[in-house]
Amino acid sequence: MMMGSVLAAVFRRDWTMMKRYIVNSVSSLVSIYMIFILIFAGLQSVSGYVKTGALDGSFEGTIVGFFVWTFTIYAFSNLSWNLINEAQTGTLEQLYLAPCGFKWVGAATLMSDFVFSFIPIMLLLMAMMATTGRWLKVDLVTLIPLLFITLLGAYGVGFALGGLALVFKRIQALFQIIQFVFIGLLVIPIRVPGVKYLPLALGNDLIYRSMVDGVRLWRLPLGDILTAVAVGAAYLAAGIAVFSWCERIAKNRGLLGHY
Amino acid sequence: MLMLASSIDVWKRCLVGRPDSREGDAAATILFGGARRLSTLDTALQVQSLTKVFRDRGGVTVRAVDGVCFDVKRGEVLGLLGPNGAGKTTSIKCILGLMRPDSGRIALLGQDIQAAYPRILGKMSAVLEGSRNLYWRMSVWENVVFFAALHGVRSREDREYFGHLLKLFALEDKRHTEVRKLSQGMKQKASVVCALARRTPLVFLDEPTLGLDVETSLELRSVLKQLARDEERTFVVSSHDMDVIQDVCGRVVIMSSGRVVVDDKVSHLMSLFRTKAYRIGLRGPAPQGLKERLAQEFASVQVTDGDADSRVKVSLSEDGDIYRLMDILRGADAIIDEITHEEVDLEKVYLEIVREERARS
Repeated sequence: MMMGSVLAAVFRRDWTMMKRYIVNSVSSLVSIYMIFILIFAGLQSVSGYVKTGALDGSFEGTIVGFFVWTFTIYAFSNLSWNLINEAQTGTLEQLYLAPCGFKWVGAATLMSDFVFSFIPIMLLLMAMMATTGRWLKVDLVTLIPLLFITLLGAYGVGFALGGLALVFKRIQALFQIIQFVFIGLLVIPIRVPGVKYLPLALGNDLIYRSMVDGVRLWRLPLGDILTAVAVGAAYLAAGIAVFSWCERIAKNRGLLGHY
Repeated sequence: MLMLASSIDVWKRCLVGRPDSREGDAAATILFGGARRLSTLDTALQVQSLTKVFRDRGGVTVRAVDGVCFDVKRGEVLGLLGPNGAGKTTSIKCILGLMRPDSGRIALLGQDIQAAYPRILGKMSAVLEGSRNLYWRMSVWENVVFFAALHGVRSREDREYFGHLLKLFALEDKRHTEVRKLSQGMKQKASVVCALARRTPLVFLDEPTLGLDVETSLELRSVLKQLARDEERTFVVSSHDMDVIQDVCGRVVIMSSGRVVVDDKVSHLMSLFRTKAYRIGLRGPAPQGLKERLAQEFASVQVTDGDADSRVKVSLSEDGDIYRLMDILRGADAIIDEITHEEVDLEKVYLEIVREERARS
């Protein structure tokens, strides 16, 4: 009952905020699209020479990789950015007064972010496919669960960075580093030993197989799906553990309301 | 000054000497150390031996809150006073679970806060930094509904109550206005509404009148008094604004250097500090021999002589002294222009206590 009320409240808040900051919401998508155009143009000019890992020199790989990367950036940065902003505006302590506990407010925020970023990013995907002329298979029944599994690891990173933001406050430079790390995780071929145990990598590969090869969810190897779930859950748990540890430090030092 | 200083001694003696006064016993225990036992029957909040120590990287420690004990009765409006750095906000944040205390026990409505955290937060709400508690891009109504929903408050009846609160705080017309477009006073009031809308039995208001103009401050006070009376909610109000505390609170806890130095009813505190100090204005210069005659009778008398008028300032200790004073003035053929009785207010009491405490420590 309480969680339903919290979830509904967070969804309503985020919807309101999205409408109020519509220019910012649209321009962030446009800027991501512009980056994609630059990458696409670069790939086109050197397409004969590029043979790298998961992209495998294909535009399809680039689109899938970029699509997953965009989702990932939204997933991890929203949580940690929100924490920084909330601390700055003074609302963070009020969220901490929620009787369900802040972690559940955070979880509701993640769900809301997923929903509210899904439609714009899907539109971005359409724009990318239209630009490249390569139309991928978008089977929502397969795509949504795979995206969710893939993003578990990103959420873990988001929680960890959010925790660090509670203690160290200004960690924006770390965000940029993480963005590049994520690109690396999406580009490294899954066949490299051990890579599938890194966040995003195996999930991205499964999404690639679904969108490029048209494999539906129940046709994908169960072992790979379970491994992706286990890896995602492990990184999420690790992220939550880091968050809890940082939260404890922040409460000990009285840093929750500071910026 | 002297009179107030001596009042402190009287007040301390009174605290120790009142055998049947619970407040006095509590305050005396706090002032002079030792443990005390609290009744949970009518108590909303109990804070026992709360301690919070901050340590910096150099190993220097600051005891921000040092063995603080106080309790708040159900339906009571308690004022939490103290100079900057006294430990008021730290104590409140420890109670709310926003800071982790080093030691101590906090119970809300008989429940141990640490054991029942975070569920226990359903019984508390707070305004911590005034208008910084709100989403400025959302309207007043959206803020109220959002924060109340976090507490599971969202029924139709609740919404009617939100409307009632907005009306009470004269924010009805601004219901759909984004918070960023409101004046400072309105933002502050909207923060208070958001805290009250959660319908919690205990509400903390940390500096609720900070930055408010006189009119808005008066408005806020009157509404708080009305809410405390009508809804029987418990309020803990921390403020530097003595008028607010004197007007709204029945009891005050005064903190200094992380410790509770006073825990008493406002009315009792005021009566302890009330003096029988009079200022008498005389027409023309003081008659010859008056100064000496008064000095023989009243030790604390001060006579300021002038060509056009003169003033007598005297502190009387017994009820009959005023008649003796009048007899002496009549006997000296002094013409009285005016008599004023020096009033004591909470601000004077507070300043005196804090200064005394500083000097003592």
